[in-house]
Amino acid sequence: MSSIADESMVEDVVGAKLENAIASLQEQISALKSQRQLQTAAILSSHATKATLRRLKESQKQSTFERDVPTDANPLLTASKNQLLHNQQNLYRACGTITTFKIRDPDPNAVDNGDVLGIRIDVSTTGKFIKPYYVMLNKPFADSQLLRIHRHTLPPYIPLAHFAEKYLPTGKGVSAMSAKKVAGGKRQDLRLFMRALRREVVAYHNRIAVIKSLRREFKLDEKASRKGKDRERVIADISAADAEAKQIRIEWVDGKVGRCVVDDKGNVIKCVIMGEVGRDREIERAVVGRIEGIGERLKEGIY
Amino acid sequence: MSGLSIPTTSALPSSQLVPASHPAVTKTLNRLSRPSLLSLVLDWLDERNKDSTAPYLVEGGSDDEDGQDLYPPASSLEELREIWSDLQARKGSKRDAVDRIIEGDWRDGISLYQLAMADMQYLYDHPSSQKWTALKIVHLASEGEPANSKLKSIPRFHPATFLRNLQKEVPPDVKAHYNLDRHTSLPLLLLRIFIVESPYNTSLALASKQQTTFDSSKTFYIAFPDDSPYVYVSLNTVSTVAGQTASKSDNKSLRKLTLEGIPKAFSRPRERYKLEPTNMSARNLYALVDRRGGGRTNAAGGGWGIYAEDRKDGSDNPLNIQFPTPEISSPEPDTTIDTSPKGLKRTLKGDDRVVKRRKLVAQGRFGNSAKADDGKGIEKFDVRIEDLLLSLNAAEGDENDYSLADELGGEPVKRKGRRSTIHLELQNQNDGDEDVAAEGFRPKVSVSFLGTHVFAGIRDLVEAGIVDGENMPGWMTGENGVSLGIVKDGRIKGYKGSGL
Repeated sequence: MSSIADESMVEDVVGAKLENAIASLQEQISALKSQRQLQTAAILSSHATKATLRRLKESQKQSTFERDVPTDANPLLTASKNQLLHNQQNLYRACGTITTFKIRDPDPNAVDNGDVLGIRIDVSTTGKFIKPYYVMLNKPFADSQLLRIHRHTLPPYIPLAHFAEKYLPTGKGVSAMSAKKVAGGKRQDLRLFMRALRREVVAYHNRIAVIKSLRREFKLDEKASRKGKDRERVIADISAADAEAKQIRIEWVDGKVGRCVVDDKGNVIKCVIMGEVGRDREIERAVVGRIEGIGERLKEGIY
Repeated sequence: MSGLSIPTTSALPSSQLVPASHPAVTKTLNRLSRPSLLSLVLDWLDERNKDSTAPYLVEGGSDDEDGQDLYPPASSLEELREIWSDLQARKGSKRDAVDRIIEGDWRDGISLYQLAMADMQYLYDHPSSQKWTALKIVHLASEGEPANSKLKSIPRFHPATFLRNLQKEVPPDVKAHYNLDRHTSLPLLLLRIFIVESPYNTSLALASKQQTTFDSSKTFYIAFPDDSPYVYVSLNTVSTVAGQTASKSDNKSLRKLTLEGIPKAFSRPRERYKLEPTNMSARNLYALVDRRGGGRTNAAGGGWGIYAEDRKDGSDNPLNIQFPTPEISSPEPDTTIDTSPKGLKRTLKGDDRVVKRRKLVAQGRFGNSAKADDGKGIEKFDVRIEDLLLSLNAAEGDENDYSLADELGGEPVKRKGRRSTIHLELQNQNDGDEDVAAEGFRPKVSVSFLGTHVFAGIRDLVEAGIVDGENMPGWMTGENGVSLGIVKDGRIKGYKGSGL
């Protein structure tokens, strides 16, 4: 009995070792694979490669003999083409920020044969591109080109419904974008819709970024340093007071609490600061203005 | 803000004591498991909660007390905390702990706050003990009001103001105790409303009433997800005491009043709101937050969820030059695969390629949603199917604002076959309500899906080849984000794309 148990133990140990080795090897494989992909992409996108490939293509056209062209040229050319297309798409995404693509709705009962127009909004904030937002539109109405939002990934604080109502109405007497405008009727306008939507998304992220940078400016996210050589902390907290980050709440160490309202363009239009002895009009006046300058203007007043 | 204002309306204070001998106290405490009960007691003994959860203490020891006292009172909070920490370390029965609370350390009574905490603890321990219904807070436009910029914003939730306004909506002969709590793991604020039918807000209200005052059906929960225009209300349909029809209807009206109070409490002058049903209810708060929360996933359910989720490798970053390797595209060329579900099951079971293909199909339809272990399952999904049984003439005068899809031609027959496989798996009932309208024969078929995670179950069926993944209608993937709906022409009717 004991020998069997021992054996199984030994087997277990060996098995565990093997499994570890396999896992590490697989890790290595995936790392190498991703590295290869990166290298492929880099090589394929480089200028030198492009020139070489162009020559190759020309020789392919000219040559009448099959053997002049390397046999693996075709996959290479396709790969290069795909890579270039991908690069171009990335370029449009990064610079144009609104890009479209086609989706097939997998639902067999989907309207319009499952054709869905996907629109992607790329937003960069604080130097990084964040997860894109998507809006998917379809044409649910027969014999009409009217669009309707099918799915989307916009959070509720982006007023999508409001814009849809305004720019993509689907009620009676509405004409499609391609159609001529009927007198007195409304017309869908996808371009205006996307512009308004993107503006809202970007504005939201800008507000969030400003609040973040304000927090950094007043060192609110750092652990309070005990050294004492820092200037005394004046602001206790700065945060967005609502989902849209259109209201900013500022708390002072001495108990003053302020709330300011930011408009669509990033201007602080209203501000109320309540201290122990009523409103502090001086700081209120300082806060009103561009949202980015709040920190500077506050500091001027403080120090 | 109602026109009437009665100055005596005020909430029950949190520190209001309920006699420890009250059966409701025992019941509430006994519902908890021993570990949660002990950690709850330690919370009560925390310095911060001192005001509303103070235990029975005797200064300078218990000399004058009789020696018969089973649980001699402690002299300080620290001492008591030690005793309870000891209890936590030791093994023992729950009963002892409850007895100690009732007869010993809180013999004077349990405060309403403590009861609320105990109830909350129970809710956390048993997340599916309440059925939640999601309601949307929508702007109530007055007549002739142009669409202004205010319409865009989602209502702001300020707990203190909300409670004050809600209190104003409560009728004066009813007293309520409110307790707000932050959900431990979800971006939610939970409000527990506990209603006592009494015009007084003193101990008189609690002591003198009969036992039914503390019926659990008088407790409502409202959850406020962050950054979201929705609220979830708990539906207390379970009546614990049978045969009390009068009190039940009372509770119903109380519930109704509370519900009506919610939008009013949200409203401000010149900014009115109302509640709208969203056809979504579930026991699982995680599922609700996913479908009716403040994130991106509200209108991207099922397979569309891949657009809303994080890509770890950064493949959706426009600065990534790597050509994306398609994950799921190009399923192997399907050569001779018999697509009828029964055929799959019988002849090709165990065939790796078929299994793999079915997995791919499921991945395509469900994306990364509807996994059995994602904890976002809803337990009930009801649909009523009103599809054409035989498509005699593609309906022209359809009252639905969709017109029929082009492929409707032979579609219903095919779906019928698919549905029959579900018959085997799931319960199905036919109303027998047959109306032969001008547009054709549309029998009403109600289908209820029940289970711990309905859509994960359907996904499993697809992967097992019982449900044909490619011809399965979209509502079976849960992409509409509803738990109740009417299916017409293969789509959830009245579902405006994305809840817009």
